Amino acid sequence: MNRMDLNRGMITRYGIPLVILIAVGLPLVSADLYILNLLVLMLIFIIFAEAWNLLAYSGQGSLGHAAFFGIGAYASTLIATESGITPYITIFVGGAVAALIGVLIGLTCVRLREWFLAMVTFGFAIIVQTLTVSVLAPVTGGWDGIASPRLISAGIPGYQLIQYYSILLITIGCILLIHLIMKSRLGLAFSAIRENEVEARATGVDPVRVRLIAFAISAYIAGIAGALEIHYIGYLTPEIYGVDISFWPIIYVIFGGLGTLAGPVIGTVILMSVWEGLRQAGLTFGRYVIVGVMLILVIIALPKGLVSLPGELRERWMAWKEKRAVRADSADIIPDKES
Amino acid sequence: MVDVGILLQILFWGVYAGCIYILLATGLNLIFGVMKIVNFAHGEFLMLGAYITATVFFMTGVNPYAIIIISMLVLIGIGAVVERLCFRPILGTSKLNEIFLSLGLIYIFQNSAAMIWGDQWQSIRSPYQGITVSLGPLSVPVDYLIIMAVTSAILCALYFFLRKTETGRQMRATSQNRKGAMLVGINVERMDIMSFSIGCALAAAAGTLWVVSGQVFNPYMGSIPAVKAFAIIILGGLGSIPGAIAGGLLYGIAENGAAYFLGGVWKDAISFIILIIVLVVKPTGLFGESGE
Repeated sequence: MNRMDLNRGMITRYGIPLVILIAVGLPLVSADLYILNLLVLMLIFIIFAEAWNLLAYSGQGSLGHAAFFGIGAYASTLIATESGITPYITIFVGGAVAALIGVLIGLTCVRLREWFLAMVTFGFAIIVQTLTVSVLAPVTGGWDGIASPRLISAGIPGYQLIQYYSILLITIGCILLIHLIMKSRLGLAFSAIRENEVEARATGVDPVRVRLIAFAISAYIAGIAGALEIHYIGYLTPEIYGVDISFWPIIYVIFGGLGTLAGPVIGTVILMSVWEGLRQAGLTFGRYVIVGVMLILVIIALPKGLVSLPGELRERWMAWKEKRAVRADSADIIPDKES
Repeated sequence: MVDVGILLQILFWGVYAGCIYILLATGLNLIFGVMKIVNFAHGEFLMLGAYITATVFFMTGVNPYAIIIISMLVLIGIGAVVERLCFRPILGTSKLNEIFLSLGLIYIFQNSAAMIWGDQWQSIRSPYQGITVSLGPLSVPVDYLIIMAVTSAILCALYFFLRKTETGRQMRATSQNRKGAMLVGINVERMDIMSFSIGCALAAAAGTLWVVSGQVFNPYMGSIPAVKAFAIIILGGLGSIPGAIAGGLLYGIAENGAAYFLGGVWKDAISFIILIIVLVVKPTGLFGESGE
């Protein structure tokens, strides 16, 4: 027990600075644009996965988070294009629009659980996509999409690095925000309604209000992630609402560890690296199969995700050692028992 | 002004489209009733049924309607394997786990199919293509009539199986009260695997019917119908097979109506709009008694 606590303290004390050091230092060591691009996308999906994770932390599993990702992207792009304001400001406005719509969809979802919620959120992404290509097509450009202003104009020397470090800063900010929320009374209320709604209500937590807040914050952060990605890529089409975009954060979070702060980071970094590796190896469809198998294995064998692997292994090891000690003891007393 | 002929045509198309949904939703409902799980990857069994039908058809050239038996048998086997390897280990854990597990299954099945058969759209020609029958103001393709007949036959067979046979009764008992069923000596794990396999076989039948009607198919075709089938069983009430049939017909008609009156892009969205409205008004579904 004691050793485990110590170990956990060490991981947070040295692990987090180490990760930040790597994130800061890697582009300086290797100025490879391919790696820089991959790192930027990783950061964006870390934000997205953390946003999904926060909603799941309150007991709500969304299958349509691409809706918020996309709404943030469209809102920020349209505002930046119309007003000429720098995307660094409009991404937060885009997030706010996503949060507003998140509250609206949350209102229909607060009384629903598990599969019902999953269905409604999934359907919501499809409805938003349909609206984007039909009614809103004059503004959004329909299926053709629209160009999105870049975060920084390509004329500035070293713009790629500035871009990377600014996104890194936003990522750290988002993670810090989520960390503070999880540690606050609100975070406590999230886990209370997740674990037992009746008891939470008895202690004075209003589940409807708390769920709505969770929806709003999660949609806000997902919207920021979507806006960042699109300003980074520079072009926006309705495919951003695709099922794939909704599923990736879920897979990353489950793989890394649901409900933890480190899980989404670990899951995103590992799976995106594996994904890129498999792509390089030329596995167009095979990589999906491999990721699917990995996901199922983690769900069945390691339900708390990769973050629980060290603890799990230590526990196994302890149990095995204890068993061996017991066996050795009993062997002293009764020589020929136990197979 | 819309004339009656067009309305009837939409209605008829809706019933035909509803057949696929009914088969999917009935299977999902059967599985849900017995195992209390939801498999979002159910549409992948539809897709497999479609590809098996097309493959056997291309190889042998037999009447594609006969292949329904092969595709159902193959999917019974695949269903048993999936239940045993994937769903049984997580039975009784968090409900979110089944959703996540289904995501993994979706990726595996879709992309395995893409590796085997390629990811382009395909279609086959039914032997009865182009033959139509006039029913009053309607001219109806024979294929659609056969599909409706086959669907009804499958549903009747399922009804008799559940009502009249010993296994069917055991299955219903398990779905009503799992612990009680265990106490009277029913092997509930056998019921799990059987209901899952039958559900998969129904999806396979839907896949065959999808293909023979001349509709195009690709490895990713299954997701949206499966999610709609799930929306249907929410509408019709979880575990209620009559609800699944009513919901399936309603969805088929609503979708075709929306596609005609609002334009094709609304076809998918309209089903979710219906779902959301129903759930806002009545969070337990149209015929459902409780949310759990």
